[in-house]
Amino acid sequence: MIGANLLGSSFGGVLAQIEQTPFVRPHIDWHAVAPELVLLAGGALVTVVDVIGLEKVRRIIPSLTSLVFLAAFVPVLTLWNQQGDLPRVMWDGAYVVDNYSLVLKGLFLLSGYVIVLLSTNYMLEGDYYDSEYYQLISASVLGMLVMTSARDLVSIFVAIELVSIPAYLMAAWRKRDLKSNEAGLKYMLMGVFASALLLYGMSLLYGMAASTKLTDIAAALSIGESKPIFTLAIVFTVVGFGFKVSAVPFHTWAPDTYEGAPTPLTAFLAVASKAAGFVALLNVVIIGFPGQADVVEPLMWVLAAATMTVGNLIAIRQTNIVRMLAYSGVAQAGYMLAPLAVFGDRPGQATSAVVTYLVIYAAMNLGAFAVVIIAARKTGSGEISSYGGLFNYAPGLTVAMTLFLFSLAGIPPVGGWYAKFEIFRVLTDGGSGAGVSLAIIAAVNSVFAAFYYLAILKQMWFMPAPDGDHSRISIPPSLQAALGVTVFVTIVTGSVLIGPLSDITKLADLALP
Amino acid sequence: MTSLGILAAEMTNTEVWVTNSFFLAIAAVSILAALKMVTTDNVVHAALYLLIVLAAVAAVYVILGAEFAAATQILVYIGAIMVLLLFGVMLTRAQIGSETDLDHDQKWIGALISVVLAAVMGYSLWEAFSDAKLPDNRVPQGTEAVADSIFGIYIVPFEAISVLLLAALIGAVVVARRD
Repeated sequence: MIGANLLGSSFGGVLAQIEQTPFVRPHIDWHAVAPELVLLAGGALVTVVDVIGLEKVRRIIPSLTSLVFLAAFVPVLTLWNQQGDLPRVMWDGAYVVDNYSLVLKGLFLLSGYVIVLLSTNYMLEGDYYDSEYYQLISASVLGMLVMTSARDLVSIFVAIELVSIPAYLMAAWRKRDLKSNEAGLKYMLMGVFASALLLYGMSLLYGMAASTKLTDIAAALSIGESKPIFTLAIVFTVVGFGFKVSAVPFHTWAPDTYEGAPTPLTAFLAVASKAAGFVALLNVVIIGFPGQADVVEPLMWVLAAATMTVGNLIAIRQTNIVRMLAYSGVAQAGYMLAPLAVFGDRPGQATSAVVTYLVIYAAMNLGAFAVVIIAARKTGSGEISSYGGLFNYAPGLTVAMTLFLFSLAGIPPVGGWYAKFEIFRVLTDGGSGAGVSLAIIAAVNSVFAAFYYLAILKQMWFMPAPDGDHSRISIPPSLQAALGVTVFVTIVTGSVLIGPLSDITKLADLALP
Repeated sequence: MTSLGILAAEMTNTEVWVTNSFFLAIAAVSILAALKMVTTDNVVHAALYLLIVLAAVAAVYVILGAEFAAATQILVYIGAIMVLLLFGVMLTRAQIGSETDLDHDQKWIGALISVVLAAVMGYSLWEAFSDAKLPDNRVPQGTEAVADSIFGIYIVPFEAISVLLLAALIGAVVVARRD
């Protein structure tokens, strides 16, 4: 009897209660989403051309992909020109195009362009499935573009998966090499585990705010006293992102993955994919958690200090240059996490410092990887000892590598010092004990780091070539272009362009809708 | 199908009681099945216990009036993922039937961590939500509302997911292909 009653009243309830609200087509600012749309269309074009042309078009696919990245860069420039301080807000605040997202979109598109330049010869000569590789690269970069504008949890999660899943597959691209298989598998398992933690944290955030929008979450976390559940949600979310940016103690996948993956992809993971993780972290922490700064800041302090120290200590012991760059990338992630340990008072300044670091880090690290890829074409090895005598037979390459290593170590006048300077400035400006102590730890670490960067310099400039082979290295045009772009950016960001760079990265407060 | 379409405010006491008993029964079944899933020594049985857990989650969605989530849960998890899992067991060299060497020496550490984690999460959730009530004016979340939000504020992630699936498909073909 109860059943019949229930059924009857349930149907009555449905008819009475669900109001048939007509679907309102959301307003779409087509100019604002043009970079994403151009990349989407271009990626589809690459796929279609590949499917139709097969082997005949194999050689033009890399050029086509790099043109797509440059084409998508055009609307970023036009948007930047039209942009006042007022952000373009779409979908009820879920998607925002502001100065912050435009700078990062430009960074991701140019990084993608350089990655394609780095990959061209590697993929063509290595007998891989190369056309598919470029399709996955463009899909992953599309995820990064979406990430820069995403201001709600669903978009952020989908974007981070769109960045990661093609990367898991590309890490295993050298199919006949067991190390590459290991790289792909390790990266995927750890990444999926991190995604599960991240989703759990996000579901708790949604449970408290009843909304996926970061501004609503910020409002829900700001009222009343702090509850254990807030801390739990924040810890799960930060740990999930910690895996993506390879922060210690969640870095264990990085060295094996970096060593086993195809080297251009390693550059992609170490630069673009890590930067995307940082963008996600910035969005969520700066916009979503300002009300819980006293929970987030100590967490970030510990993560930053552990990440830079452990990364540097292990990097010193490496003999393989790719593994060394991997651990040095872990340490650099520690510097980039540091401003988030004091973000509560100065969110805008902390954001600017991280973005500046990301831009300079991308240039110098991509450059270092370009040199590694070029040198491996001759020596076929990634061991640091194989760099002996490089100055004798490739002086230009040695000078370029010296610039990148100086930059990574933070020695003026190349870019890296300015990036570090901005970090120190954020940490010490408030004069808080936490900020100053973290700045001291960062300074000690920079000295440590210089030690292993300079060890490579010594090898290149002063040691004899291990096999006495002094034949010159031929550098194909695409690698020359990649080297040119990265050398240029690394030099100008540390000297003549500091003024404009600090203007570009002087970002408005993200939390404004 | 107890509460599908009924407003909480309109429920009689009997209806609330029936809904709650349904929920408790489903929760008990799913917890038991989850425990059996990790303790059984037969991979196929573990898969079937997982199926019960997933079906129980779908039943909870029905009680909450989220018909679309319930249907998706059944279609995707039970219909696709479980079948994939069983195919995986069948096509690989995994043993069908009991296995004796599934234990390893870190199981007590693992058990300790899960107990601590369960305690911390259980306490935090209890502290935050123990006196929370479902709002009286909630309406069942119809499929139409889901469709509106997918093509409304979630249009960007929706489009991004289609790219994600295409990329995953292309990559999976390359990696899995025999050559």
